[in-house]
Amino acid sequence: MKKLNKLFVFAVLFAASLLYASDVSKVENFKLKDYNGKEHQLSDFKDSKAIVIIFVATQCPVSNDYNSRMAELYNDYKDKGITFVGINSNKQESVDEIKQHAKDNNLQFPILKDDKNVIADKFAASVTPEVYVLNSNFEVLYHGRIDDSRKESDVKTKDLRKALDEILGGKTVSNTKTKAFGCTIKRVS
Amino acid sequence: MKKLFLAIFSFLILSQSFVLADEKPKQNDKIVVETITKDKLAKIIKERKGKPLFLNLWATWCVPCREEFPAINKLAEELKDVEFVGISVDFPEEVDSKIIPFLKLQNAKFISYVNGFEGDEELINTLDKDWNGALPATFIYDKNGKKVSFLEGKKSYDEFKKEIEKAKKK
Repeated sequence: MKKLNKLFVFAVLFAASLLYASDVSKVENFKLKDYNGKEHQLSDFKDSKAIVIIFVATQCPVSNDYNSRMAELYNDYKDKGITFVGINSNKQESVDEIKQHAKDNNLQFPILKDDKNVIADKFAASVTPEVYVLNSNFEVLYHGRIDDSRKESDVKTKDLRKALDEILGGKTVSNTKTKAFGCTIKRVS
Repeated sequence: MKKLFLAIFSFLILSQSFVLADEKPKQNDKIVVETITKDKLAKIIKERKGKPLFLNLWATWCVPCREEFPAINKLAEELKDVEFVGISVDFPEEVDSKIIPFLKLQNAKFISYVNGFEGDEELINTLDKDWNGALPATFIYDKNGKKVSFLEGKKSYDEFKKEIEKAKKK
């Protein structure tokens, strides 16, 4: 009977782990090149208080609506020990296009090209813009949107800022997961 | 004989012009895109009147949404025993500038609403807690308003049809 109970507990735990499998809680180190051909790896940023990974696009109107907000976030947090890294996993957006787009929109943080969406798959990222905030062990502290409205004048909750402020204040992130509409990442088939 | 020839000729010309007129997209049809709220959506899902519901979430800025739209349109034309409803997540102020022109271009055969929920997350979680917000997304309900399928991403005519058949059998 005891054995049966143990089996039942195991089955429940296994089912629960499957349920949460779609939410990545920790990522492994990875290497990618930026639009200048310079290689970066996640472990380069291990000393940061937090690493903000943003899946971005050049052609997505939603991601583009966030360009100035992304530039502002970078400027506001770069000197506070927060690292920003953009990742472009869209198959149809070239390195040259990403470079020009970053220049045009004053995106000063590195933007890495994720050929064949290998890293997007590891994160299980599906839209742009989509944010993951990691600690130095690459555990996901926050996953979701930058804020709650594509239209800046309608923003009510600045979710990413709130998470970063909590991390900098030594607090636990209160809202670890949010959702928003975005452009689907165009993966290789 | 001359009269007969003239009559046949006139008939052919006229019938041809009728065919042409019929083939033209109905650009003059008035397309109305209303705002949908949480209550209105709940009512649509609940009030089935014996028909399954095919609910598609799309946006004019979403390329895969635009690509799958003709397949849905075709199904909406063919399957009169299923109710087809679209919800565009463009902004409500883009109804005249973007949504209606898109629906006219597609010669849309089913009604579409524009997202009037409090926030994107409210709409996403109302439809499916497991949905991360990637578009397009399709939800199929049976004739009792019970969700039977949640399809994430662009799907084909055949894939949609297979899921609709499942809902019909419920």
